[in-house]
Amino acid sequence: MNAVKRFLNNGDINRFRFWFQVAAFGLLIYGGFLAVDLGNSLPAFSCVFAESRAGACYLYPLQHQVNMPWAQFLGGRGVGFAVGLATFILFFILFNKAWCGYACPLGTVQDWVSKVRTALGIRFSLYSERTFRRLKGIKYLLLALLVLLPLGISNSLVGAPKLPHDLATAYCMICPGRTVLPIFTGDISQLAIDFSSKTMTVLTGLGMAITGIFFAGSFVKRRFFCLFCPMSALQYAFSKAGLLRLTKIGAKCTRCGNCSRVCDVGIREIADDVTSKNIVQDDCMMCFKCVAACPEEKCLTASFLGIPVYEATVEGFANRARRRNVHG
Amino acid sequence: MRYFAGIDMGSTAIKIALMDDEGMPAGRTAAPTGSHFRKNTLAALGLLLEEEGIDRSDVAYVLSTGYGRKLFHDADETVSEITANAAGARAIAGSDAVRTIINIGGQDSKVLLLDADGQVRNFVMNDKCAAGTGRFLEMTARNLGTEVDELGDLHRRCSGAPLPVTSTCTVFAESEIISLLANGHGREEIVAGVHYSIARRIVRLARRIGIEDGVFFDGGPALNSGMVAALEDELMRKVTVPALPQFTTAIGAATLARAAWIETREQVDA
Amino acid sequence: MDKERLERLRKTTGVHLAMEAKETLRQMEEDFPVHPAAMQYFYEQFRIAYGSGGANEDGRKRVGTLCVQVPEELVRAAGAVPVRLCSGAHAFDQVGAEFLPAKSCSLMKATLGMLSLRSTAFSGTLDLVVNPTTCDQKKKAGELLEEFGYRVYNLEMPASRDSEEAREYWHRSVKNFGAALERTTGVRITKQRLADAIRATGLARAAYRRLHGLQQSRQALIRGTDAMLVTNAYFFDDLDRWTGAVNALADELEDRQDRSVFVAGKHAARILFTGSPPVFPNLKLPLLIEQAGGVIVADEVCSSSRLLYDLAAYDEQALYDMVPAVADRALKPCTCPVFSSSQDRIRRLLDLAQTFSADGVVYQTIAGCMPYDQEQRTVGRALAAANIPLLLVETDYGPDDHGQLSTRVEAFIESLRGKARKRA
Repeated sequence: MNAVKRFLNNGDINRFRFWFQVAAFGLLIYGGFLAVDLGNSLPAFSCVFAESRAGACYLYPLQHQVNMPWAQFLGGRGVGFAVGLATFILFFILFNKAWCGYACPLGTVQDWVSKVRTALGIRFSLYSERTFRRLKGIKYLLLALLVLLPLGISNSLVGAPKLPHDLATAYCMICPGRTVLPIFTGDISQLAIDFSSKTMTVLTGLGMAITGIFFAGSFVKRRFFCLFCPMSALQYAFSKAGLLRLTKIGAKCTRCGNCSRVCDVGIREIADDVTSKNIVQDDCMMCFKCVAACPEEKCLTASFLGIPVYEATVEGFANRARRRNVHG
Repeated sequence: MRYFAGIDMGSTAIKIALMDDEGMPAGRTAAPTGSHFRKNTLAALGLLLEEEGIDRSDVAYVLSTGYGRKLFHDADETVSEITANAAGARAIAGSDAVRTIINIGGQDSKVLLLDADGQVRNFVMNDKCAAGTGRFLEMTARNLGTEVDELGDLHRRCSGAPLPVTSTCTVFAESEIISLLANGHGREEIVAGVHYSIARRIVRLARRIGIEDGVFFDGGPALNSGMVAALEDELMRKVTVPALPQFTTAIGAATLARAAWIETREQVDA
Repeated sequence: MDKERLERLRKTTGVHLAMEAKETLRQMEEDFPVHPAAMQYFYEQFRIAYGSGGANEDGRKRVGTLCVQVPEELVRAAGAVPVRLCSGAHAFDQVGAEFLPAKSCSLMKATLGMLSLRSTAFSGTLDLVVNPTTCDQKKKAGELLEEFGYRVYNLEMPASRDSEEAREYWHRSVKNFGAALERTTGVRITKQRLADAIRATGLARAAYRRLHGLQQSRQALIRGTDAMLVTNAYFFDDLDRWTGAVNALADELEDRQDRSVFVAGKHAARILFTGSPPVFPNLKLPLLIEQAGGVIVADEVCSSSRLLYDLAAYDEQALYDMVPAVADRALKPCTCPVFSSSQDRIRRLLDLAQTFSADGVVYQTIAGCMPYDQEQRTVGRALAAANIPLLLVETDYGPDDHGQLSTRVEAFIESLRGKARKRA
């Protein structure tokens, strides 16, 4: 048992994660070819517009399911909504936000873009703390719109007239998942502006612009899009119930900042918060790079069902440092 | 009968206390330290044993303490005077009654805080010099043409306000006292002023670790009633002064000697 | 200073320095007989440095540093050798006392005293002296050093480590420092060179962490004074050789652990040492503690754990990520009291006391050091709240207070006996 633990703690999480992401990407984007179907409540951008996907991103059905008059929420369609949400939550709490760090195809694409950048020797950019705090609220706004717009099609919200049907999956229209992920299946049809209506023109036009921003952004900034991701906002609501956890023993922390600096999303609390045990923030994607970068014995721990699976140890840190950059 | 000796080798005087098997006092003596620590200590111990009719071989354990403790190689064990002082206060007054010990010695002064078991919880000592110690009182008595044991009476006879003696340094205080005398001030007021100055200094020291009720005042200067009165005023508390304040540390050393001997014997038995 | 007087001063100071060093080493070796054999290497380093020979010059540029906050990785990446200049010698202290304010701390007087002599015996020829703007005394030392004829780089530091602004300021400062180093050595700090330096210093630090971890042993495997000598040697020793020697020491201690060879009894009071740094040969207070029967199991001082404990990690092997990494390593976890907040230092002390089962804490303030003196209060209150006994000691490099200190230290160790017994 101890030997297994030691082996894991000495491990290189980055390499493991790279290959896991490749496998998850293959499964979620191409699983359909092998008739794999994981349902349509996945807590990751397994985009419905990618034909060969192995399951669908929950945000698409969510927008459809809330597009109904208030009264129907109590009827059969309401049950459908509840079942969808429950399935999403069950999927989610299994791996918590590691869905983002290990499975989300759109996240993986961003990591690949970063790999291209590092290969070219181009530096990443970082947000200042202030900008970071300002921007991180956007995902909640997107989530709110994502639910309110379809609701506003079937219902008159606060006395306003009902919204046009073109807004049914408004979020998907602007989501870079829709434009980017089908490319990997050879489908570039989503890379276009739909002029069928004024609403669609605006939405798909916006979608194209965001796609451009997505590539440019993720080229200069690690996990650029994740800070705005409404899926991340939705997930965070259930993160505390997650079976996979990331915990911190504040007393062991020297606030050296290694964890925060290697964090792709740039979370500062991981280094500065010395009181919270559960250290998962809304932007955290549970990649556990912070655990690998922490040189304090058991200060940061990833655990599943209470069993530690990856812990910060001095030995692990030293081994990783020793293996890195050996030359000459 | 078995006996235990506690030897407090202070800077001015050597104090020796004997204790018997039951932990009862079995004699004591004091002698000037002088320059030959070891010789004077051995002589004082020999004299005491002779007076009490105790054979040297009946002294089962000797524990030395005080500033010269390490120079007395004839001891079975040495302990710092802080630990010994606490043990002495505990033995004399009982651990319930003592929380704070103020000790003024010949060359230093210290304040000890004890926990509920009578163990030293914290302590402070004065800085490197003779300010606010027995030496300071000796200097005062000498300059006023009197003896140290007269200072208490002089203090009691002080009718006006005590005169401020502001110098911390013993050397400067000496000239201050001389000029006060030259200006026609009374000895009583000067003595009271010196007592208050020492008391204020030691209370300031004590505040660094906190003062708790149950103050025990010992060391030679505790024999001086004027010093006691000034200290009580500055502390705003009553203090307990044992019958033989200059022997507290030696008695403590004897208690520790007995305890150490019992412990060693238990270990041998086990 | 005229030349003849300087020569004389160098000579007498040299004699006193050798005497001091010899006496400290004598006490260390003779008073405690059961040293690990691997300690010999470290005794020898000090015998050489303070006695027979000077620093070995190998053609590389030598960069003197005055505080732990200098990122040594950059110095090494620029092809230079860092030498920590902070001195613990009373002989140098007396030289510095001639031109520094009377209330300066001994460490400043000794360090500047040593540098004023421009003697190369200990430090070698210095191509640059890096002076981080830490405490006020160090801040003002830069100009003096220039007067002595050194090339000085004042490494500007923020007064706090908590705000993002402070961190950004520091990152800029460190970046400029890197450029200054390149100008001094003529060697460009490339990503490969910096990665190598981070790796090599990381391995040294990992070796120190092994030693540090072994000090947690319920019964002491190594004396704290020995451990301090090991870390003190890092000031001037060759990096890889030092790492090897520390790993050899750790191997031996692990072996001794298996064979139950200890350097102190089960009941010896375990002490956590903190405050102003005990720098060789001024190991007065640590030696007193161990001579009184205590054993120092951990420390929180900038000549030992704070110097070597922290490890830098970086994500991308590129200067834009590695330079901030070494900058953060030098600033963010640093518990030096010059920074505005004392909370991290308190948390660190509480954690060390618990992890190393310390029975009590000894807090040394070198007279004249305001930051440590002032932080005594907050630290003292926090330790009292955690029920950890504390001995506060104000001292200097002089031998005068030895008698009084020994009484205080012994009394403190005696007062911990009950606690130590209960623990064991």
